[in-house]
Amino acid sequence: MAVAGREADTQETQDKSARSLATSPAFGTFAIVFTIAAPIIYVASEVAGWPLFTYHPATNRIDFGWAAPRPNEGPAMYWYGWVATMLIGASLLGIVAAGFPRLRVRIPLFLIWLLPLLALPILAYGLMPFWTR
Amino acid sequence: MNFIFDYISVSTFWTIVLIVHALLAVTTLGALTHQAVSVALPARRIVGADGFLTRFRAVYGAGYATAVCVLWVVTFLIGGWIYTKYRISIRIPLERIGYWKTLGAFEMKEHVAALGLGLLPAYWYFWKNPKNPAYDSVRTAVTLLLAAMCWYAFLVGHVLNNARGFG
Repeated sequence: MAVAGREADTQETQDKSARSLATSPAFGTFAIVFTIAAPIIYVASEVAGWPLFTYHPATNRIDFGWAAPRPNEGPAMYWYGWVATMLIGASLLGIVAAGFPRLRVRIPLFLIWLLPLLALPILAYGLMPFWTR
Repeated sequence: MNFIFDYISVSTFWTIVLIVHALLAVTTLGALTHQAVSVALPARRIVGADGFLTRFRAVYGAGYATAVCVLWVVTFLIGGWIYTKYRISIRIPLERIGYWKTLGAFEMKEHVAALGLGLLPAYWYFWKNPKNPAYDSVRTAVTLLLAAMCWYAFLVGHVLNNARGFG
């Protein structure tokens, strides 16, 4: 069974360029804090109505923050704004946390997979009109 | 950008973009499935010829991490672009014929794709530290979760395209 071994040798060489980032404690802290913060911010943004911006696809109009659909201008889309809120918010928290690299050993790592899992039923509940109509 | 529509119709253009999106999704799905199986059912050294299943799960998972991240981001960006057209040309007609659960599943897919995007930094970091035993269980969990998200997104996108495509 030499397949895994051969691939491992090749990958060891290819992975060298990424090692400096991968072995950086600051980046590790950034990655862990970003990943824990992202689902919290995304769900909060969706539930509380905090999209960074609202996009109106029929007219290509962009409004800052949450905006209702305009009469005769088609639907409004909030998903882009939720994603932007999540990326910016999680990045800021991650950058701040990266200044404290020891923080990463104190954070319970199970939050990384548990929080997105918990986010799913909340987000599904927000889509209730689709399930019950 | 509009010069393209001198040569192909608007629906053909969006169909091509959708096919590119689907092909990228298939590639992401394949890579993540290989990786997920390699951590969930790792291959042990055996004597004799390797079977298909053994080869399937005997991949070096760390070698897929960067590719999965790049593929997820590119697929996400193209999907986000298509979503603007979907909202007008696909969702409104499907609302008129009452495909509410299909549309709900698709909106859920957008949530799942966004949550998956948020997982990528830690996923990449854990896979680039494959010899750190402290990350073994979380690496496995994040990989399985990301693979499940990818399967959900892929299947729902496929079903929605069957319900109504751009053509």
